[in-house]
Amino acid sequence: MAGQAEGRQCLAKRLASTFPGKGERKGGVINTISKLTKTCTLRLTVCKLYFILSDKVANGGASMWCELCQGNFFDEFQMEGVAAEHNEIYLELVPENLSRALKTAHSAKAVKIKLTNKHCPCLRVAVELPSLSSSSRIVTHDIPVGVIPRRIWNDFREPTMPDFDVSIYLPVLKIMKSVVERMKNLSNFIVIEANLSGEMNLKIETDLVSVTTHFKDLGNPPWASEEGCQSSAQGRNLESMAEACIDIKKLQQLLAGQQVNPTKALCNIVSKRIVHFILLHEDVSLQYFIPALA
Amino acid sequence: MFFQHYCWTAVSDPCHKEKELSLPCKLIVKAVLPVFRCANVLGRNVEKCSISTSPSDHHITFQLLCKHGVVKTYNLTFQECDPLQAVFAKHMCPNILKVHSRLLADVMIHFPTSQEEITLSVTPVKVCFKSYTEEDTDFSRTMVTEIHLSPEEFDYFQVGVDSEVTFCLKELRGLLAFSEATGVPVSIHFDRCGKPIAFSIEDVLLEASLILATLCEAQKEADSQERCCPQQWGSSETLPDKPSGDEPNSTDISKNPQRDGNAPTSPVAKQEVKSIPRVTGRDVTGRAGTPTAEAAGEATEAPYQKFHSLFFGAVSHKEKDATGHTFQSLATASDTEEDLGPLQSSPVL
Repeated sequence: MAGQAEGRQCLAKRLASTFPGKGERKGGVINTISKLTKTCTLRLTVCKLYFILSDKVANGGASMWCELCQGNFFDEFQMEGVAAEHNEIYLELVPENLSRALKTAHSAKAVKIKLTNKHCPCLRVAVELPSLSSSSRIVTHDIPVGVIPRRIWNDFREPTMPDFDVSIYLPVLKIMKSVVERMKNLSNFIVIEANLSGEMNLKIETDLVSVTTHFKDLGNPPWASEEGCQSSAQGRNLESMAEACIDIKKLQQLLAGQQVNPTKALCNIVSKRIVHFILLHEDVSLQYFIPALA
Repeated sequence: MFFQHYCWTAVSDPCHKEKELSLPCKLIVKAVLPVFRCANVLGRNVEKCSISTSPSDHHITFQLLCKHGVVKTYNLTFQECDPLQAVFAKHMCPNILKVHSRLLADVMIHFPTSQEEITLSVTPVKVCFKSYTEEDTDFSRTMVTEIHLSPEEFDYFQVGVDSEVTFCLKELRGLLAFSEATGVPVSIHFDRCGKPIAFSIEDVLLEASLILATLCEAQKEADSQERCCPQQWGSSETLPDKPSGDEPNSTDISKNPQRDGNAPTSPVAKQEVKSIPRVTGRDVTGRAGTPTAEAAGEATEAPYQKFHSLFFGAVSHKEKDATGHTFQSLATASDTEEDLGPLQSSPVL
């Protein structure tokens, strides 16, 4: 079995309640991810955790890269990867299970997550909950995971920032979410278009009706001033719109999963090719790629 | 105490002279719910609610007398039925736990709503609820949850025998929702696996019991196997070493459908109801639930026989009558049908 072939994979993480917000935030991240996809890959390194969804056809071509610093979430983090020079672990799991296991974590005294191998490799989440008596309640969830062998780790590399035409900050997500949700009732596809003057339009069109919502004064991220700026965006007419037509359900899922307003939310549009969303929270960064439909 | 006015007339049937008949009937809950929808609105507008029956044309009438002279009348048809009564002696259970429904609800929240069955395992020093997985479960796909509690969390904790019982969680959730609404603590009575487990709530106004069959694992118990026949509700009475005069006929049932009395595997769960005598308690209205018997088929090699049954009786006491409430034993052997009398009764649930 893959687990044994990969050698020792000991992993112990302890998430303690002295930082009560942590469990909740991690729960929040997992919640978001569980709304985006049924299964995903969890990559563990010494400093960071990554939730990865690679752009297979099964996902409708969408892909995701979510990165968080383990130090922000865990009080104790011990990990031993496959080998010294490859000190990483790649697991395949169902984020919904993890989300359910952490449901009560926000009121927990302590949460411990361990990688074990009983009938099959499992993430054992042990939540210690306060109780009326002197001894706590212990809830254990065994979440089955699949260990991903090293030879296909390359499938899960960090996606590169595309050569975008327009980069723009997103409108307030709550508003964007309610607009997209209503549009979803009318059409399966939505066109996102934006320009470098801070204007964005969300458009749907069917035989009977076409609806456009206009946003302005959104602001454009200052990529151009950074090194290695994208050439497509340079010298571009500020008013000219870059657009992409995408599956509205994917966009709605992304927005529905956001419970807290991110610190920064922006999207990069490669005209008629792909839309790249970046959502930054204090300690979590989430990138989501939705390919444009022909 | 529950009703302002309660009037019950015995309808004497010339065929059954000796017994007074109550009116066991059943209504579709979905039909009754709309009558009492929006409790807040009802509380404001309704002055009185009157419930009356006319047995001759099988109608039960709910009348809501509201403000401003408005009267809403609902006529619902009922079906006569023979309610099933579980033969189960709660007081003979070695294990009794009593706890507020909030705690149970907090425990059950950790299990997914799709979880069918859970296992409760107790020893005198610990209590554990865990998700039940069959032997052939694909563990690489199934999430397993376990919750450990300390006995101190229970209002009353008595464990006479270490046991591990598996029962249907979905049914229990219904009772928990109900008991949370009433705020009454839940009592759990059970024994070893294979014997029923009862969840009950009791209050001044009402008493409700949920009796579930538990999974009987053939591998575990050897000689008392034949007693684990799921359709024997109150199998504690059938053990020869625990005689109880009240249920002499329960042993007879076990012989009928059981084909292989001493086989290590559990016999088929087939519910055979020979005769259903009427309920004798005068001021007792029993509402029978529908037993859902999932007979696991005739195969003897199946190690588990699953039999889920649900009995939920809401009993409202008009007067405190401690000894008078008895239910007649449900399934009796056919040869004792004729001499059915008031002695053939099991303790009230």
